[in-house]
Amino acid sequence: MGKIMIINASPRAPKSNSRQYAELFAKNCKLEAEYFCVTKTNHPDLCHEVERFSDILFVFPLYADGIPVTLLNFLKAMEAYAPKKKPVISVLINCGFIEPQQNNIAVKMIQLFCKKNGYPFGSILKIGGGEAILSTPFQVLVKAKIKKLAASITKEKYQTLQVTMPLTKKMYLKASTGYWENYGKRNGITKEEMATMKIEEESSP
Amino acid sequence: MKLILSDKNLDIPEINHSSIEFIDLSKLKIAGCIGCFQCWTKTPGKCVIRDDAVNVYPRIAKSNKVLYISKVKYGSYDTIMKTMLERAIPIQQAFIRLLHGETHHVQRNVIPKQAVIIGYGDISAEEQGIFRQLIERNAYNMNFESNRVIFVPENELEQIVRQEVLSWEK
Repeated sequence: MGKIMIINASPRAPKSNSRQYAELFAKNCKLEAEYFCVTKTNHPDLCHEVERFSDILFVFPLYADGIPVTLLNFLKAMEAYAPKKKPVISVLINCGFIEPQQNNIAVKMIQLFCKKNGYPFGSILKIGGGEAILSTPFQVLVKAKIKKLAASITKEKYQTLQVTMPLTKKMYLKASTGYWENYGKRNGITKEEMATMKIEEESSP
Repeated sequence: MKLILSDKNLDIPEINHSSIEFIDLSKLKIAGCIGCFQCWTKTPGKCVIRDDAVNVYPRIAKSNKVLYISKVKYGSYDTIMKTMLERAIPIQQAFIRLLHGETHHVQRNVIPKQAVIIGYGDISAEEQGIFRQLIERNAYNMNFESNRVIFVPENELEQIVRQEVLSWEK
């Protein structure tokens, strides 16, 4: 039986949604799983760990349409390290948009890294509405897909999976506006203040 | 305003500094985005990390012509440019709108842009394809009304940048 290294590459790893997705994965995976976060200083340590595992699962958010710098820098460290035994790499990615396919380019970047560096590529789970979905009743859909992802990796029957909130786009706009409005309210600011057009101190470009 | 963001220093005497601003990101101190969302939900339009990035993203917002120059890695901008672009999210709002039938963030005062992106390095056809798709996504999220992507080996970079700058001056 293999062993999976779950790597959280979110820039806010300890408080991230990625951490919750990683925990759900570990809970639902029959392989022995160990959880790690990428930090600025632990790249060499993580690279040394890689050889102990049959699989890696990268868990991260979409940042500016691609992989976050945290992950980009770690991939560069992995490239320089090049272990003899290369685990199968799978991906669990989430974005705040309702369309899970907005994650596609980031997945292609990981696949390209794998191809260039001789890592076999495994399964993909793309999550849409990933900022809020775990705090909605739709979390059951995410849990079911994460179970499927885990089973596909365990059985080595790799799959591309996706999940999002089953809402119309109009409903999603309303729900996300409410979500962010409440977020601001907890910080003591209004929707109007959040919607300012000003950038830094300037009133107009 | 015309803006050149580059991830390395370039020697381009043709740049007319009264109309074009050249920013060499490699000389600036720019930390990675920590995903705190405060620029959306606590200090809207302002990043809480008060380093050099806070002088760059307002200039991105104000520019109608941009030239981004970046090394390409795994089909992405390499670290220096990607770090800056991630730090530019204060120019957007948290709120979501529909654009071309897809959900995207509402922009604050961001002028629509004609963007030229130069990706340099030893870039395979597959990697070029991914980078082009990335720029298509950026166009929606960074308010590019048009975009053009150019790939060059690093040793030809200055020459290509020079040509682009001269075309801006015409």
